[in-house]
Amino acid sequence: MVSTSNNLLQDLLELTRENLNIVENLKTQSTDNLNWKENPESWSALECIEHLNKYGDFYIPEISNKISTSKHKSSEIFKSNWLGKYFSKSVSYNEDLNKMKTFKSMNPLNSKLNIQTLEKFINQQHQIIELLNKSKSVNLDKTKTAISISKLIKLRLGDTFRVLIYHNERHIKQAEKALVKASR
Amino acid sequence: MNPISNLIDRINNENLWDREIQLERNEYLKVKGSIDTNIYLVINGSLRIFVIDEYEDHTIRFGYKGNLIASLDSFLNEQPSDFYIQALKKTTIKSINKKKYISFIESSLENKKIWLTILENFVLQQMERERDILTSSPIARYNRVLKRSPQLFQEIPNKYIASYLRMTPETLSRIKKS
Repeated sequence: MVSTSNNLLQDLLELTRENLNIVENLKTQSTDNLNWKENPESWSALECIEHLNKYGDFYIPEISNKISTSKHKSSEIFKSNWLGKYFSKSVSYNEDLNKMKTFKSMNPLNSKLNIQTLEKFINQQHQIIELLNKSKSVNLDKTKTAISISKLIKLRLGDTFRVLIYHNERHIKQAEKALVKASR
Repeated sequence: MNPISNLIDRINNENLWDREIQLERNEYLKVKGSIDTNIYLVINGSLRIFVIDEYEDHTIRFGYKGNLIASLDSFLNEQPSDFYIQALKKTTIKSINKKKYISFIESSLENKKIWLTILENFVLQQMERERDILTSSPIARYNRVLKRSPQLFQEIPNKYIASYLRMTPETLSRIKKS
């Protein structure tokens, strides 16, 4: 994937705006519906969001830190590498959700959840918007961040954003599906 | 005739709106850093335009039924803008993109005149607004805005009016009572 840095950031801002809006709307649902699950192993809407909050807790400080210490000036073009393509593709939403294994530390199953879970997610989205804006002044290729699942791999900042935000989209859609079933 | 209603009628007559958008309460039409060059007409509901600095958000403008709203900086320079636009209740808007809008404005001398009048009025409003912000007494700020836009106090929740007036909601309710 090659695109101008500006276009990439604009697309990611728009996607974050949509993610934010869907979760704002979840606040109008009853707590019962938000906690409803199809079977003991599947996730409720709130568990989907809590899963994302756990990722946010890792990525937001990490990205923030790498942006503020980056010495690489912004460049016009962003080029994803194979690793970035691989990760962002594997976490993004598609119609027949490819099952993925959840890392134990990121598994929200049976956590105690309420409306605060949604507030936390909304707050994280505002932080992500702020980080997308700050990243306009650094290089999205050369600034690298750690990832949550392996200490050995670093991703380009542009790819880290893609992974984080596509992953948000994926599980928000999953939450919406859980709610449709809950209200049937 | 009010130049904004006149302009809206003309856009309606030529059927130029691109689409209608529904926003639920608290939904964002635009977030900080994005480019949005559309102009929107509020069909019903209300919205606010604001910026967030490190600690709090500052409400800059409101839009309600019959108003045109835009991220005017982005519309003019086609660059990312720091403004957020958020629906305060269930809101319906229509949008027209910049290209279509400009060719509509340029299609007649009359349209150009109307647009110029709207921009002139906007400059006057901004000057009033600048004076609001420079007014140090909270009561005087409140009275200026009440006199200028009484409708605001019927349409918009107190918390956002307080933000617009640069005071806490507590101060606003104290002033309203006195």
